[in-house]
Amino acid sequence: MNVEISELTRRFGRTEAVAGVDLRAGAGVFGLLGPNGAGKTSLLRMMATVLPPSSGTLRLLDRDPGSYGPRREIRRRLGYLPQNLGYYPGFTVAEFIEYFALLKDMPSGQVPRAVATAIEHVGLGGKARAKLRTLSGGMLRRVGIAQAIVNQPELLLLDEPTAGLDPEQRVAFRALLREFGQRGTVIVSTHLVEDVAAACSEVTLMDTGKIVFHGTPEDLIAQGEGHGVGDAPLERGYSAVLAAARS
Amino acid sequence: MDDEALIAAVAGGDDTALRELFTRHAPWLATRLHTLLPAAEVEDVLQETFLAVWRGAGRYRPDLGSVGGWTWGIARRQAALWLRRRGPAELLLPAAADPDGQLPGGPASPAELGDPAEAALRRAELAAAVATLGPADGPQRETWRLMYLEDRPVDEVAELMGVPVGTVKSRAHRVRQLMRAALRHREPARAGGKR
Amino acid sequence: MTRDPDMTDRLGNRPGRGPDGIDLDRVWTGVAAEVWRRRPGPAERLATRLLRSPGLARALLTTPSLLLGWVLATMAVLLAGVAVTLGTGTPWVALIAPPVAGAGIAYAYGPGIDRAWELSQSMAVSDRMVLLVRALAVFGLNAILGLVASAASGAVAAVTFGWLVPMTAVCALALAAATVSRSANVGVLAGLAGWLIIVLGDRVAAGQLTAAVTSTVLILPYLAIAAGCVVVAMYATRTPRGTS
Repeated sequence: MNVEISELTRRFGRTEAVAGVDLRAGAGVFGLLGPNGAGKTSLLRMMATVLPPSSGTLRLLDRDPGSYGPRREIRRRLGYLPQNLGYYPGFTVAEFIEYFALLKDMPSGQVPRAVATAIEHVGLGGKARAKLRTLSGGMLRRVGIAQAIVNQPELLLLDEPTAGLDPEQRVAFRALLREFGQRGTVIVSTHLVEDVAAACSEVTLMDTGKIVFHGTPEDLIAQGEGHGVGDAPLERGYSAVLAAARS
Repeated sequence: MDDEALIAAVAGGDDTALRELFTRHAPWLATRLHTLLPAAEVEDVLQETFLAVWRGAGRYRPDLGSVGGWTWGIARRQAALWLRRRGPAELLLPAAADPDGQLPGGPASPAELGDPAEAALRRAELAAAVATLGPADGPQRETWRLMYLEDRPVDEVAELMGVPVGTVKSRAHRVRQLMRAALRHREPARAGGKR
Repeated sequence: MTRDPDMTDRLGNRPGRGPDGIDLDRVWTGVAAEVWRRRPGPAERLATRLLRSPGLARALLTTPSLLLGWVLATMAVLLAGVAVTLGTGTPWVALIAPPVAGAGIAYAYGPGIDRAWELSQSMAVSDRMVLLVRALAVFGLNAILGLVASAASGAVAAVTFGWLVPMTAVCALALAAATVSRSANVGVLAGLAGWLIIVLGDRVAAGQLTAAVTSTVLILPYLAIAAGCVVVAMYATRTPRGTS
C-alpha cells in the first residue's frame, strides 16, 4: 500500500475541510472527484506533505511523514502538481524541470536524461529551450506535469492536471497516467468526470470533506441508473451520489 | 524546410531543427548501421552521430554532398571509432564505397540493406574483394586497413607506415581500383542482379 | 517525410520505434539530454561541494538578491554612501547598509518571492534549508560589502563594525515580515521602516544621527529583536507535522 489514511481530518479555523477520511491505495490510477470546496485539494496537499493534518493517521510509501528523515524519503519518491503552479518566467522549460529534479535529490548524473525523458513524455520536445514566459497555459500545465514525473515517482499526485489541455492532449495524458499507474500510485483530483472514466481503476467522490463514494467507475455508473441529471452515465452516477449524500 | 536549411538552423543553435533532422534521417541511418553493428551498438553510435551533427553542423557545406550523405559519413566514422575501441576490424564494410555510402554496383535499396541475408552476402563479397589486395601484411592490405577500416586521416597513415603522404595516396587509389574491379567481377553472380 | 507544424506540440509525439527493434526514442532522449543540459558554472560547482547538495547549490545561485544585477545595485548604493560620507563627514555607509541588507534578505526566499512556493514546500531539499542558506549568503555578502565600503569611507572602527548588529536585527525583521505577509516588498518596507524608527528615535534621544550604530547600550535590544524575528520567520515557514 502506498497510501494509508485513517480518520484524517484538517480544520481551518472552525471549518472542517477534510472530515475523517479513510483511504487506502496501492498501485493504479485513482480518481478523486467532487464539487469545489469538497476538500479534494486539502486532502491532496496533505498527501503531498505540504499541509499538516489536524488529526488522524497518514502513512505514505510505508513511512510516517511526521518525522524529517522519512518525510524527505517520501518527497524523493513523490511527484506533485498543485492546482495553481507558479512559474519562473525567466527559466526555460528544461531549466525549470531540472531545478525541481535537483530539489528532489535526484543524483545529478541522472538528471539530464530524466529531464529530456519528461519533456518528451509531455510532448514539449520542440519547446525545451523556450522561456516559460513564452508558453501558453496548456503548455505550462504540461511543464507542471513534466516536473511531477521527472523523478519516476512512486506516488504521483495531480491536482486538476488537464486544465488547458485540448482533447487530443488529454487522450495522450491519460495514457501517461496508465503508464505511471502500473508501477506506482497515481491520484488525480479533477472535476472533469470524463477524465476519470477513461483512466482510473477506482474513483473516490468527496463532498463537504467526507468521502461519499468509493468504487470502480462502473459502480459509479450503476449508482446513476434511473437518475435524470447528466448527459453521460458517469455524470448521472456522480450527481445521484451527491444528491443522496446531501438529502 | 529542406535538409540544408535545417542543418543551417542547427549550426545556429536550433535544437528543434536537430529534432526534425533526427526524425527524417535516424530510421534509415539505423538500418544502415545495423548492417555493420549489433542493435544495441547501433543505438549508441546513432546517438554519438547526432551529437556530432549538433556540434559540427557549422562545418557542413553543400559541396560536400547531401545532408544525408554527410550525416552517413559521420555515422561511419563513429562506427569506426566504436569498433577501434571495441570490436574486430573485419566487421566494418570498407571504403570501396563512395562518399555517399554507395557501393559499386549501384545503390542498395532499403530492402537490400534491411535484409540480413543480403547484408551478409555483401559482407562476404567484400571480404573476397579484400583478399585480392594481396597478402595480409602487404602494403595494400595495410593501407586498406588503416585508411578504410580504422578511418584514419592520410597523414596519420603515412606516419604509421613510415612513407610519404603521396605514397599513401597512390596506394589508396590502387586499393580502390582493385576493390571496384573485384566487386564488378562478382556482380553477375548475385541472384536477381538488383541495381 | 513532410514536416507537420504541430508535430512537436502533441503530447507523446516522438520519433518512435526504428527498424529491427532499435529504440529511436531512447536514442533521441540521449541526444536531447546532452543538447538540453545546463552546465553549472564554477560558482555552482563550488557551492555543490560545500553544501553537499546540487539542489541546494542551484537554489542558492538563483537567489534573486544574489544575482549580478542586485549585487551591482547594492554596490552602487554603498559607493554613493562612501562618497557622501567622504563629503560630509557623517558615516552614511553605516546608516544605509542595514536596510540595504534587509531588502536583500526579504528578496532571498519565501512565499513572497517564490512563485512556485507550494511546489517548493513538497521538495526533498526543504524550503527551510533553502531559506537558511540563502539568508546566510545574502547576509554574509552584504556584511562584506558594507565593511569594505565603511573602511573605504574612513569611518572609525566603532562605526565600521558597529552596524553589523543593527543590520542583523533589520534583516531578521525584514525576513519575518516577508514570510508572514508572504510578500517580499512588505519585508523590504518593514526593514526600512523599522530602521528609520530606530535611527530617528536614537537621534532624538542622543542628539546624534549615528547613535543607532555607535551606542553600545542598544546591542542587547538589537539581538533580542533579531532573535524574536527569527522565531517568527521560523514559525511562518514551519514544516508540516505528522500525526502518528
